[in-house]
Amino acid sequence: MTTKKKSGKAAPKISPRAALAKATNKKAPAAERINAFTQAPLAACESDENLQKVLTVLRNKQEPVAVRLAALQSLAAAAFSAIAFEPCRNDYIATLREISQDDDPEIRERALGLLMREQDGFAQKALLDGLKKPVKALVSPEKALQLLSYDVHAEAYAAAREIVSKPPNPDAKQEALRLLAADARSAPLFEQVLRDKDELRENRQIAASALSALDPEKFQNSAREILLDRSEFEDIQATSLTALSHFADQEELAKDKPLMKSIDRLSSKAKSAKYKRSARQFLAKRDR
Amino acid sequence: MGTPSESEFARLIDTLAADPHRREELTDWLREDHPVYDQRGTATVVRMRGWILLALARAGITEKSLLFVLEELDNGIDPYLVAAAASALRSYQTPNAVFAPILMRALDQIRYRDDPVSFAGYGAYAVSGDQTSPVRELLKTLLWLGPLARSVLPDLEAIRAERSGGLAKKLLPELDQTVSVIAGENRRPHRETESCCALPDNLATKLLWPRGARLSADAIESTTFEDHEGAPVTFREFFRGHPSIVVFFYTRCDNPLKCSLTVTKLARVQKLLAEQGLADQISTAAITYDPEFDLAKRIRVYGQDRGVCLNLHHRMLRTTAGFEALRTHFKLGVNFIESLVNRHRIEAYVLDCEGRIAARFERLRWDEQEVVDRAATVLNERDPAGAPAVKESAAARQVARTTVPLLGTIASLGVAFFPKCPICWAAYLSMFGVAGLNQIPYSPWLQPLLIALMLINLVSVWLRSWFTGRMLGSYLVTAGAVVILIAKIWPTWEKAVMWGVVLTFAGSVLSAAGSLTRRKQLASS
Repeated sequence: MTTKKKSGKAAPKISPRAALAKATNKKAPAAERINAFTQAPLAACESDENLQKVLTVLRNKQEPVAVRLAALQSLAAAAFSAIAFEPCRNDYIATLREISQDDDPEIRERALGLLMREQDGFAQKALLDGLKKPVKALVSPEKALQLLSYDVHAEAYAAAREIVSKPPNPDAKQEALRLLAADARSAPLFEQVLRDKDELRENRQIAASALSALDPEKFQNSAREILLDRSEFEDIQATSLTALSHFADQEELAKDKPLMKSIDRLSSKAKSAKYKRSARQFLAKRDR
Repeated sequence: MGTPSESEFARLIDTLAADPHRREELTDWLREDHPVYDQRGTATVVRMRGWILLALARAGITEKSLLFVLEELDNGIDPYLVAAAASALRSYQTPNAVFAPILMRALDQIRYRDDPVSFAGYGAYAVSGDQTSPVRELLKTLLWLGPLARSVLPDLEAIRAERSGGLAKKLLPELDQTVSVIAGENRRPHRETESCCALPDNLATKLLWPRGARLSADAIESTTFEDHEGAPVTFREFFRGHPSIVVFFYTRCDNPLKCSLTVTKLARVQKLLAEQGLADQISTAAITYDPEFDLAKRIRVYGQDRGVCLNLHHRMLRTTAGFEALRTHFKLGVNFIESLVNRHRIEAYVLDCEGRIAARFERLRWDEQEVVDRAATVLNERDPAGAPAVKESAAARQVARTTVPLLGTIASLGVAFFPKCPICWAAYLSMFGVAGLNQIPYSPWLQPLLIALMLINLVSVWLRSWFTGRMLGSYLVTAGAVVILIAKIWPTWEKAVMWGVVLTFAGSVLSAAGSLTRRKQLASS
């Protein structure tokens, strides 16, 4: 802050109303308007007139995308205060639905993201339709899955399972697995992904985390097998070890000699110092 | 017929609404357990149910469908469904003052989610703000009630007076019109009386089965559960031998007015049972609709976070086998997409000592005291001799509620003016000479007794405040006790003693009144 004052380059603080006037002034330079929007959230919902001005910028496809995104950001910030935002919410949601079909992909993505946070049925339907018919898709499949995962009640499990079995790209598969982490019936799938050494390591990590939440018992069995397997990757072994140290029956663990031996091996022979340390900590807690 | 597509469903509903002989069937399609909702996502279920409510709005709601409409207003949080329900209510044959508080509550609940909705066609979503919204529909329905909505006029006026936030500007003319029509005197009086707080008699929010008419629980005796500690237990083991109060919930429910509130109310039920000394005779259970996800630890934490007392008599349960049989036996108002709930109603049950359903409270928010009273009645079925005991204990509670503040104040007075020596004692009693009280010997042991009584009153007021959430009474009584004790210890404060008595009395009365108001509120909600 001090440096900024000394250099004299800090943006002068202006009142929210003045900021809004500048932000919605088409003649002002884009950079100044974007900066002004960051100071405008409080003014955007002060009156219906102000709100309509910001919404006009947001809807106007002739405006620079960066300015429209700043307007969107400003409204999203204002929306955090549910009580103060009450008079604006109705038009805001309607506008988000409108711009979720915008030509600009980033505007579409951001609008759909904000709508999904509100568990909006319109956005959910648009995303699901896009997954079923990619020509209709408003966003990439991985983004659609990520946004659908905001609502556990979205009917996205079937679509996600299909993507896991026939992924259009690795990111989409990863997002599909993340989404299925809330689906109790996907535990067998996660068990399979976790044990599959040919699977991407990120996917196996997701599977480990999902399985430990959905079926802790199955996860503990798998984690034990992974720790006993000398050909297994160290990072997967470390994840398994962490989960066992937190969730497993500690007395049973202490009695498991083959497991202790394998953790002992990890503590001395792991390539990463970090994994060695976790294994040592695990053994030290059990006086070994 | 297989599962209809959404467009087929919409056409079918339109056909039913258009046929005066088949309109009644619309209500059956609103049942949560209807197969048409099986394996549909929540958003799809919302579209489907909203379309039925709009069909009812066109065809006119009947006594049978009224409950479903009120349910949506009472505990719905989806803007489209609340808007459709508000619209449907206006098609009811007679406006009734009892609808006003339900509409007002719906308005309070939905106003921060006043999203634009469209009634233009099946599955339509509004993409401009000039269409309708739940708040707009609720205001229209309050306007339809007119002067019958007078009980909520202060709430509407408070909304109009809000400075920060408040309704959207475009709704203000409608709010003004609603307020002026409700307040207006020149309107012709309605056929209905203005007395509120009583739902139509035929509204089946609770169903009671007499002893001989209850369905046997044999079909679900072997259903196995795992409790909040992971301990296995069968239906027979847990529900046989004593009455039980059972509620259904699931931890991933995103409607705070349903599962979260239900489990919180169960905690309140447990407190009422404990107050009546019934906690060991009547068990409570919360059973999850989502046993595959709701593992033992999840349900335990969910219950504990909402104040539920958990032990061998009071458990949170997940089925490990036999959920479908349980669902059929209880006729649960729930449906699923895969293992996840897509829609459910509020439902609480009282089971008798054979595990049979003796009462069901459904759809609208149930009253904890009413459920406890019903369970107590069922308990006495088993042991008829016990019946008076329950009545007596209720009467005794009522007496205690009024006498404790009175006794507390008398004790405070006693402590305040207790004579310091035998001479003062004689002087005091000489005032009662006519009644012969001057024969009573000086009794210094009375002072600690009176102090103890005063402290009992203090504790009682604090407990009552804790239950009602109204703390002013307890603060006043505490201040009164402190003033009296100081005045007794330091003679220079002697003149303040009367203030101590006044504070104690005021606090005790406030506390008792607060308790009474709270009970009335619970009863009316």
